[in-house]
Amino acid sequence: MKRLLPIFLSMLVLATGIAVRAETDAEVQARKDALDVAGAFANDGFKIRDGHSCGIVKAHEHALVTVNLYAGNQYWFSAAAAEPAKIAVSVYDESGKQVTTESYNNGEKAAAGFSPMNSGQYFVSVDLVEGDGGSFCLVYSYK
Amino acid sequence: MIRLAKLGVLALGAVVFAATGATDTARLPGDQLQKAVRSDSISIPTPGELFAALGKSEKTNWSGQYRGPMPVTYRNRAQIALNLGGLIADGFIAVEAKDSQQVKNIGSDIIKLAKALGVSEHLLGRGKSINEFAENSEWDTLQEELEATQNEVKSSMQSHADQDLVILVTLGGWIRGTQVVTASIMQNYDERSAKVLRQPALVRFMQSKINEVSPQLRQEPLVRDVSEQLNGIEKLVSFPAGKPPGVDEVRKVNETVGKLMTEIESKELPK
Repeated sequence: MKRLLPIFLSMLVLATGIAVRAETDAEVQARKDALDVAGAFANDGFKIRDGHSCGIVKAHEHALVTVNLYAGNQYWFSAAAAEPAKIAVSVYDESGKQVTTESYNNGEKAAAGFSPMNSGQYFVSVDLVEGDGGSFCLVYSYK
Repeated sequence: MIRLAKLGVLALGAVVFAATGATDTARLPGDQLQKAVRSDSISIPTPGELFAALGKSEKTNWSGQYRGPMPVTYRNRAQIALNLGGLIADGFIAVEAKDSQQVKNIGSDIIKLAKALGVSEHLLGRGKSINEFAENSEWDTLQEELEATQNEVKSSMQSHADQDLVILVTLGGWIRGTQVVTASIMQNYDERSAKVLRQPALVRFMQSKINEVSPQLRQEPLVRDVSEQLNGIEKLVSFPAGKPPGVDEVRKVNETVGKLMTEIESKELPK
């Protein structure tokens, strides 16, 4: 069952995701890839949140996404870029200070995991370390 | 600590794991934080996330948090949307309680309320799935199904040009979730549980979304009341980082959201 979860969720978000604008094919592909990364954490008991943030990240820049987290939970933020690139995911607290995370990096796929000490607002940064820029998608999972 | 071992199943080739961050210079300036993307689908946590955090630190009596059956014959669309959100939160509570019958009852009420909003056509399949998963005690899958149901309701609202109601569904879920969590913390207070209540930015974000809805909807008595009370709630959940709220502070939040929930459920709308 759990092995099928990423596939199921990929289909689910493709079919029913809340889109405020039509997503490009590149973003859809990036979302699928981000869900693949998140699916690995599902094997460890993490539930994938049925929500995402897709967009464009430019060369040597980052895209910043606001999340609200609960102390007591563990989180993994998984991202993927549609085009060949090297990306990284990092997390900042409400004051903008980077928090210590565990990281997974593999070219156009990356993830950061941590357990917040305090509930509240955090910022997830998807950094384009190498590449010309393009579409990315971010999803997260928690347990 | 979060385990990474299972990530190997990805078989993606070169993989690097490392602990990163927290250097003195790693700080983002305020103007960048202001420009960060905020959206309902990723910036507002689901009731399931809130309940997961609460469940870590205490043994919660989930079935003790049930409420009586609510009317599903509301006529005011804003009120239906708020109650639909609350009902979805009730579904998460029933899943936490691992109560098949309660999940099925709530699933049925969700469909009824969604029908009243005219967004039920795609949800009938979800209702069936909820029943099947409940009968088979597939609790993790049920939680995913509830989340998907909530998103499908919102998605359907957007395609029906009812996007202003989306934030009310989210808000209804947050209010009901907070009512349940504060009640549970009061029954068995501990600091770790109380930490989940610190969410001023979240309340501020929901308030900003309410301010973006059409003037007609914003002027509806119930929406106006909810919006006004959110200002007070934001102050009540603005605890300093690292300082969990005490029992009295938790009680104040519970009383305020409880009053708001009573108003949302009431058949008599405020004037």
